[in-house]
Amino acid sequence: MPFVLLSALVINGLLVNYHVTGGPLKILFLGAAFPLGLLLGRLIYVRRSHVQILFDDMSFRVIKGSREAQTGFWRSFRLVSLVLDQFGKPNLRLYRSAEGEYVDLPISRTNADPQRFRDYAQSLVSGIRVRKATPQVVEAA
Amino acid sequence: MDAFESNLLRGGTRLVADLTEFFRDYKIYDTIFAIYAKGNTRNKGLFLSRFFAWTVLPNYHVSLFCVDEGKTLLSTEKLRGWMDTVTKVIDRDELKWAWLVVLSDRDLSAQIVSFVSRYDRKELGLAVASTTSKQIVQSSNQIGRSIGSQLKLKKALGA
Repeated sequence: MPFVLLSALVINGLLVNYHVTGGPLKILFLGAAFPLGLLLGRLIYVRRSHVQILFDDMSFRVIKGSREAQTGFWRSFRLVSLVLDQFGKPNLRLYRSAEGEYVDLPISRTNADPQRFRDYAQSLVSGIRVRKATPQVVEAA
Repeated sequence: MDAFESNLLRGGTRLVADLTEFFRDYKIYDTIFAIYAKGNTRNKGLFLSRFFAWTVLPNYHVSLFCVDEGKTLLSTEKLRGWMDTVTKVIDRDELKWAWLVVLSDRDLSAQIVSFVSRYDRKELGLAVASTTSKQIVQSSNQIGRSIGSQLKLKKALGA
C-alpha cells in the first residue's frame, strides 16, 4: 500500500506538470497507481525481503531476496529450539554446542509449521548422531 | 504435549511470564524433559507497553519444565527426583521460580494427589495431570496455582 500511495503521488506530480488537472483522464491515470504500486512493491519485496529456506536431509540454505543469507549442515549442530522474536513469532534456533554459538532460521517468515519443522530439524540433528557407524566385533575362530 | 506447547508458543503465559525459548526432549542432569522453556517476567510489547514493562516490571529469569510419563506408573520418588533436578537448575541459573508439569496417561494415585497438593515451596510450582481422567492437581503455592489459571493445562488436555 505505501507503494500505491507513492505511485499515486508521482503520477499526480506528472499530471500537474503536464497541466492535466481534472476530468476523467486524470482519474484514469491515477487509477494506474494501484497496479503500478502493487507491482513495484512486489518486485522490491521479492528482490530484498522474501525468505526461502531450502533444505534436505544433509543441509539447509536460507535465501533472503536474491542473495544467500545462511547455509549449513545439520550435522554441525547439536541442539534445536524454537525462539520467539520481538513480535511473538517463532523462529528456529540451531546450537553448535549447548549454550554456545547458534544460528537462527527465520521460519516465521515462511509458511512452515514451527513445531513440525522443529521436530524434523531435531530428528536430523540427533538422528545423524545415532547413525554413526559402530565397529563390528570380530571374533577369531 | 504438542497442544500444550502450542498454547505456550502463542503466549499463553504472558500475564505471568514471557517464555521465549522452547526445547523438546531436553536433557538436564540425566533427566529428559519433554518440554523445557526459558523466559523472564518482563513482557515485551510495542512502544508504551514496552516502556511500562521496562520501568515497572522486574526482569526475573523463570523456566518451565514438563515431563511426559506416559503409561509408566508415577511415584512420589520419581516426582521428587524431577523436583530435585529442577531445584538444581533454579540454583544454577539463578531463576526466581520455575514450573514443573508432569503428564501421565494413568489415573493419579491418592499419594501423588496428596503430595502435590501439600507442596508449598515458593520457588517451584508443581502440577500433575492425567490425560485419561483429565484430573489436574496443583501445588498450593502461588506459582502452582498459576499453572491452572495461566498455562491453560485443562484446555490442552481437552477437559
